Amino acid sequence: MTSPMKIAFLITSFFLFSCTSDEIKKNQSKEFSSIYKNLLKSKKLEEIQENSLARTKKDSTWLSRFNQPIVMISSENEKVQATLVALGNNGEKLTWVSSDGISLSYHNGILIATRGFSQDLISLNHPKLKKPFKHINKSYFKTHRFLDSTNQYEDITFTCMLKKKPTVSLSILNYKVSTDKVIERCDSNFQSYNNIYYLLAGTDIVLKSKQWISPANKSFFTYNFYAFQQN
Amino acid sequence: MVENIEAKTKYLEKFNVYESTDILNNFGMPGSLDTPTAQSFPDGQFSISSSVFGGSIRVNLSFQITESLTGAFRYSRIPSSSGDYRGYYWDRSFDVHYLAYKESKYIPSIAIGLRDFIGTGIYAGEYVVATKSFNNKLKLSGGIGWGRLSGKNSFSNIFGLGNQRSSADVGRGGTAHLNRLFSGKNSPFLSAAYNFSENIDLIAELSSDPYIHETSSIKGMSRETDLNFGFKYKFAPSLTLTGMIMHGNAIGLTGSMAINPKNAPYKSGLEPAPMPILIGEAKISDTEKIIDATQRLLELDGIQLIDLEFQDSAVEIYLVDRNYYNVAQMIGRVSRIISKTLPKKYKIFNIYIFDHHSGFLISEIEIDRKSLMENELLFDGPDNLWKNVNVKNTAKKKSYYGSSNFSPLTWSFYPYLDVMLFDPHAPIRWHIGLEAKARYRMMKYTDISGSLKQPLAGTMDDIKRGPKEGLPNVRSDFMYYHRDIGSKVFVDNLTLNQFFKPFPNIFAQVNLGYLEMMYAGIRSEIIWKDSDKPYGIGLDLAKVRKRATEANFRLKSDAHSIYLASFYYDLPHKWNLKIDGGKYLAGDYGSTVSVARNFNNGWEIGAFATLTDVKFSTFGEGSFDKGITLKVPLHWLTGKKSKYSRSTVIRPISGDGGATLYLSDEKYLYNNIKAYDENSFQSNWKRVYR
Repeated sequence: MTSPMKIAFLITSFFLFSCTSDEIKKNQSKEFSSIYKNLLKSKKLEEIQENSLARTKKDSTWLSRFNQPIVMISSENEKVQATLVALGNNGEKLTWVSSDGISLSYHNGILIATRGFSQDLISLNHPKLKKPFKHINKSYFKTHRFLDSTNQYEDITFTCMLKKKPTVSLSILNYKVSTDKVIERCDSNFQSYNNIYYLLAGTDIVLKSKQWISPANKSFFTYNFYAFQQN
Repeated sequence: MVENIEAKTKYLEKFNVYESTDILNNFGMPGSLDTPTAQSFPDGQFSISSSVFGGSIRVNLSFQITESLTGAFRYSRIPSSSGDYRGYYWDRSFDVHYLAYKESKYIPSIAIGLRDFIGTGIYAGEYVVATKSFNNKLKLSGGIGWGRLSGKNSFSNIFGLGNQRSSADVGRGGTAHLNRLFSGKNSPFLSAAYNFSENIDLIAELSSDPYIHETSSIKGMSRETDLNFGFKYKFAPSLTLTGMIMHGNAIGLTGSMAINPKNAPYKSGLEPAPMPILIGEAKISDTEKIIDATQRLLELDGIQLIDLEFQDSAVEIYLVDRNYYNVAQMIGRVSRIISKTLPKKYKIFNIYIFDHHSGFLISEIEIDRKSLMENELLFDGPDNLWKNVNVKNTAKKKSYYGSSNFSPLTWSFYPYLDVMLFDPHAPIRWHIGLEAKARYRMMKYTDISGSLKQPLAGTMDDIKRGPKEGLPNVRSDFMYYHRDIGSKVFVDNLTLNQFFKPFPNIFAQVNLGYLEMMYAGIRSEIIWKDSDKPYGIGLDLAKVRKRATEANFRLKSDAHSIYLASFYYDLPHKWNLKIDGGKYLAGDYGSTVSVARNFNNGWEIGAFATLTDVKFSTFGEGSFDKGITLKVPLHWLTGKKSKYSRSTVIRPISGDGGATLYLSDEKYLYNNIKAYDENSFQSNWKRVYR
């Protein structure tokens, strides 16, 4: 029907000039082509590179550059790290936001919600949020709530217990701090995890923690650097 | 503790397997190789499989319609000495399989199934089968088959329905032959599946299928034994390859893939975190600055602010949302942003949403600011907030036309792909080309829109068959259009569109001009839809004339009309029903029933059938118009916000009975209006704080 030259010319011009005045349509096409590109790429995830913050030495001089309260989160292998600033304050609940669109909400140091992960912790049912570290060696139930792919809740209820190791030395920034190490062991039929909290000795102030989000996103560390900030 | 156990059980069920391709047989249904087993796929699984052996090719689409009911649609090449196309039949068939009892400790699972019950009947057969598993290592299945499954080792009908299978007049295919189900002699079949290793199952089966057509042709196979042997290699839950030796003669392969709309690759999505709620007084008080800040923050979340109007203690926010399929998530983000930018005295947020295509102001959502804040991080926050939310149709008359955020002209250049299935001379026909689209909004509710197409390459202009006989050729002569258009640029559509909304719950449009490749004229649609009702009513009327086969601006003299009334109903569990009734293009009277399962995430899988007063024999191949519909949302695949989805209709070549106009989805108002009704907000309200 059409000469091969004409087809080649038209297809080439299509790839060169395929366009729209509509930003939303443009994004849709971009997203569609990214699906095909991802399919063509190897399925194996590339080795995660250490990001620049992970390579940076974190000390009090570094911290003094921040003129607002920050926390730092870190992957379990400490290779990916990000700083977050407090943007939300709803009663006793604080929400910290990173520049790449992740937010974490804490209530007295306990992670109660995440946003921006693939399997976010939508909410947490914790019976002792007022005094989370008071009841050592007593079991309690805790429910992590997620959303499934059809916008319904997916709840996992854990049986948890706290154990406390007093006077553990914690290296944070360039300080050595005496802390109480609290380990929260949580089990369900399908998932188990250990959350670890380093509390400033004799207080309920969490300086560092490792907390579990979800089956897909696992655990990460939180460094509450704001406890060391002057302003 | 009881509550805890319940939660765990719920978790177990929900975290079940989503894809399982190692239980597909050569027909794309639960089974071993050719024989069925009493199993079912995970609920919602959509499978595509193809098997090739002994000259036969089967391409199967199957869908786990409910937890117990499986359906399949198949297109097969069957070698036969009487084959009507180069020694083969190209044949469509439908199967259903119902798992009546799930295996317990001592009792096997039991299933009943119908193969090819509305096709030409080449594969027609029925079965009852039982399956028992032993230590998750061995699965034994045994059953009795009728029809094609009673070809070998048969004995008297166990139901006393006689040993002579009732004949069925298959005619042009497409009709159900219920009278002969489970009639005639019956035969046993058996299968065993041994789980050799994590990824490999070894299969042996005794099949009663006589393969009469296939063994009658040199293009087919010979049948040396009743036994089939094979293995299934599971690369992943969603991909299995089966190798087999069929009846001691033919080596075969089956590839099976599956996807489950309930198992999104990015779980609950990758959208960046929303604006957190900050208790305290907003820093800005100047109205202009508030509007600027609100607009900027909304834009970051992909939402267009059209207007912001301040009342005493309430604020009215007018928006266009073109990005969020989950409308509750969009409302949550809007509410968070304005709770940040607006002074405390505004206690009620009234959010008004425009439909971008029509320009209608569709719904009003009232959010209580205090409730929004109090529930932000609570365990049952979304459910508590919903109690204070009010969604209704709005009587407001605003338009987005004239807003600085609205551009009256939009255009695009993109490729297009047209696909036509099931032409016996070439099962898949296609055409690619370039399409230029433009739309200009001249007034508040008036626009002109059009599309020019340049075909580049393909096979649609080479269709050998001619139009059907017996009815006015309203659709079945489509091949003349492709032939005469050839490689020329043509006007696919060019219409003047006027939208009306005389009452809060009445929405209407008139389209005038070149409506589609084959028709020009005037069409109007009127929809009644109350936001708080799960149903709506529509009228679709058109007076049209055939376009010249070159699809230029000339018209032919043939005039036709359509008068259709539609009833839409959102059934429980996200099943959607639509019933149309009235007069179709060829002047025939009848009704279309469409049913679709919606997965509450944009995925929709459905089927439709149109029966009119046209006789099956007059309609021709397939006997009546029917098809399978599939809608896949982009956001499910990428995890990022998007309203866009790709729709596909799998249907036989169009006949003239039950024909309507071919218009793009956006030309039908109902779904655009329904996107913002109470049900749509409620069904994804759990995402309001996401």
